[in-house]
Amino acid sequence: MSLHKDTFHILVALAAHDRHGYSIMQDIAARTGGEIRLSPSTLYSAIRRMLEDGLIEELEERPDPEHDDERRRYYRITREGRKVALDEARRLEKLLADARATGLVPRKA
Amino acid sequence: MHPALRLFRSLLWLYPAEFREHFGQDMSQLLADRLREEREPLGALLAWCHAAAGVLIHAPEEHMQMILQDVKYAWRAMRREKMPAIAAVLVLAIGIGSTTAIFTLVNGVLLRPLPFAAPEQLVYVTESGPVIGGGAVAYPNYLDLRERNHSLEDFALYTDGITTLQISNEAERIPSGQGTASLFRVLGVRPLLGRWFTEDEDRHGGPAVVALGEDLWRRRFNGDPGVIGRTVKLGGGTEARIVAVMPRDFHFPGLAELWTPLQLDPRNNTRTDHWLEGIGRLKSGVAVAQAQAEFRALMNQIEREHPLESYGQTVNVFDFGEHANRRLRPILVTLLGAVGFVLLIACANLMSLLLVKASARAREMAVRGALGASRSRLVRGFVMESVLLGLMGASGGVLLAWAAVPALAALVPEGTLPRWISFTPDWRVGLFVAAVAAGSGILAGLIPAFSASRQNVVESLKEGGRTSTGGAGTAWLRSALVIGEIAASVLLLVGAGLMVRTLVNLQNRQTGFRTDQITTLQVTPSQREDPATAAARVDRIREELATIPGVLSAAGTSAVPLMDNWGRSLTVEGRPVLSLKDAPMIQHTVVTPGYFRTLGVPLLQGRDFDDRDGKQPPVAIVDEELAKRYWPGESAVGKRVRFGPPEANEPWHTVVGVVGVAYNNSLRELSRNGVYLPYREFNMRSLAFVVHTGAGNPEASIRARLRAFDRTLAISRVITMRQVVTRVLWQEGFFATLAVAFGAMALIMALVGLYGVMSYTVSRRAHEMGIRMALGATAAGIRRMVLVQSAKLIAAGLVLGTMAALVMAEFTPSLGRALYGVTRTDPATLAAVAGLLALTALAASLVPAQRATDVDPIAALRRE
Repeated sequence: MSLHKDTFHILVALAAHDRHGYSIMQDIAARTGGEIRLSPSTLYSAIRRMLEDGLIEELEERPDPEHDDERRRYYRITREGRKVALDEARRLEKLLADARATGLVPRKA
Repeated sequence: MHPALRLFRSLLWLYPAEFREHFGQDMSQLLADRLREEREPLGALLAWCHAAAGVLIHAPEEHMQMILQDVKYAWRAMRREKMPAIAAVLVLAIGIGSTTAIFTLVNGVLLRPLPFAAPEQLVYVTESGPVIGGGAVAYPNYLDLRERNHSLEDFALYTDGITTLQISNEAERIPSGQGTASLFRVLGVRPLLGRWFTEDEDRHGGPAVVALGEDLWRRRFNGDPGVIGRTVKLGGGTEARIVAVMPRDFHFPGLAELWTPLQLDPRNNTRTDHWLEGIGRLKSGVAVAQAQAEFRALMNQIEREHPLESYGQTVNVFDFGEHANRRLRPILVTLLGAVGFVLLIACANLMSLLLVKASARAREMAVRGALGASRSRLVRGFVMESVLLGLMGASGGVLLAWAAVPALAALVPEGTLPRWISFTPDWRVGLFVAAVAAGSGILAGLIPAFSASRQNVVESLKEGGRTSTGGAGTAWLRSALVIGEIAASVLLLVGAGLMVRTLVNLQNRQTGFRTDQITTLQVTPSQREDPATAAARVDRIREELATIPGVLSAAGTSAVPLMDNWGRSLTVEGRPVLSLKDAPMIQHTVVTPGYFRTLGVPLLQGRDFDDRDGKQPPVAIVDEELAKRYWPGESAVGKRVRFGPPEANEPWHTVVGVVGVAYNNSLRELSRNGVYLPYREFNMRSLAFVVHTGAGNPEASIRARLRAFDRTLAISRVITMRQVVTRVLWQEGFFATLAVAFGAMALIMALVGLYGVMSYTVSRRAHEMGIRMALGATAAGIRRMVLVQSAKLIAAGLVLGTMAALVMAEFTPSLGRALYGVTRTDPATLAAVAGLLALTALAASLVPAQRATDVDPIAALRRE
């Protein structure tokens, strides 16, 4: 089963840092060159789903007090989340390898 | 705050509350940050639109998601506790199923519009008076009323019958209708082919014409459109020209598939001959009451104009649909009321089950509540469980109704209901099921849901630690529900008992004639014949029937008891001649010799008819009660009577015999005394025969013998006298069957309810029982304690139910009229119901009582 695209992006965004929603959105936008900008509703529906599936968790403490101007919620990737993200990365890698093997190679820009 | 942000915030109300409370703040914050990024107003606008559109897409998804989640929780909860869930579904299926089944009948009979154009304009017109009782319109009165009235578009007379259709030497008896030419204008039905009868064709001595029903046309004429204008042979050898084919769904009156014009002879249809029914169509804007007033005034006028033919009549105009349903309406309304009780008991039962469930789950709820699940979420989860139970129960109920409706419809004898009545479910039934299911789910589910969520966390955890169940607060409610269930069961069971006793009383009453081992049939020759030939044929038929092996005797009659009747007024020689208005009505039956012997009606004085009777001088046989009334203290034999309007001067008939009273007319009461005349006096083409047979079913041999005798004879209505009685009593039987079914369902559900409450109480008090036993209480003592508690509930329910039954009896005089040989407050029935309930209820408490003694006292003490 492949992960939902948004889910994978969010997991990647949270892989190195705990983040709040806006930060997740910015990170994804930065990594995709502004191509993917999640709307608030898309982002939080995904977050709700991932919380329920145990891929991420909500933090009690605020890791970034300086920017904590509002009572934002912060999220952290769980062990399960990491495993799922890793599996997805492997799956994509294998897919890419298969593509390369058949001569389908992306040209460097 | 920026107005754009404020607008976005208000959009968030589209989300479920939980989602909004949790993420709403962050979502607006995120949008605010996002808007700050954008320098250009256009970019900001696009970002805002993107966010808003996202809300519109995702909010419904979140709702859906949450419902699915609730369903998942509910399903898991139900799978954990299978027994209560199964019990709940069954109880609901019974409640919803029986209600739906009855509603389907109500819908078919009372709610569906009649299959005629603008059915609300149709009215049924009937004369009524002290002697005729009502139900018909005399032809001359019809002509006057039709001509003079201003409230009807048109007015018609009709009657139903059976017509013999002769195709290639084979006779088929077909339900038929005869009507005036105006009938089809009144009904507003268009022929499929051809045209309806003209006024000319409806005149006495007019041409023989016939209209066929579509099914008959397809069956016997292969749907040949060239059939119009062809002739067919009808009963009596008439060659009739086919002028119309009527559409398939048209059946009027009754089951008619073939129609002929009435072609009434005014000389034979006087103002005192009542056998035709009237139907009219109101002019638009005219109310039934206005038409009624006008018709009454016109009838007064007619009465004044024809004083000799006046019998004190008046005329009634009814809404046609209401009139057609007048017999079934009270039955159905009563049944709907009764089934409402069944549904209420089901709801009470379900509520009880859910309350137990709620208490049992109090601990889980408390824990989840402590972990932050909102109260609304908890309530919703519980309600979702009720909804799931409700849906499953409703599906079960629909299945039950689907199976029950045809079975119920089969209790109604064929031909009793007009053909247009159909019990296929339609949107009304669908709506009803949905409303009942939702209503009972809410009724039964809300209180338990709140009670479940209201649990005080600390209390529940403490209590839970002790007994693993909680919720003492609703114990009284559960007891009240059980008491209510028992009381409602008493009501339904008393009703069932009374109806069954009525049915049995009527079935076993003395009718004055033999009802066992009697087969009756109607025989109609294909040709009209002169009286002598016809009489000879009747004699031959009697002989043929009587010589069938096993047959003891056979006789002909104009009227099968309880099925046909023919009333006439009576004048007694030597007594003052009364006007038509005051003359007594008698039941007038034409019979062959041997009729009394065949039916076991005792001959008390004089003699039976013999083959010479029927010529001059005319003779008659009367029943004992009539003889005693008019000739008290002397013999009736030799006295003279005559029939019909007193002024008509019909010939005097000399009484030659007196027979026992026979309830020919009704099983409930002797409404008319019987007078019998010899059949040779009348040339009756179609005659019924009664056959006294031994054991076994002689129908086949009777048919074979008559067919061998003359294959052109049409034989119909072959039915045993027992079947006639059952048919006459179908309403009582229908009622009794359903009342017993409802009573049984109520009883079972009340027992399930009691069992549930007692089991729960015992499990709740297990600890206490253990300590009691540790302190020396015996198992018998514990058992008694539980049974006494149960007995208190039962007694309360019985008292309440009996009181309710007595109060009900007080307010339902119509019930008293429906009963026979038993009063509404029959002590024996009440006692029997109370006994039955008390015994079964105590039996249902035995298992919990036994379980109470299984507690291990050591374990109980250890936990203390």
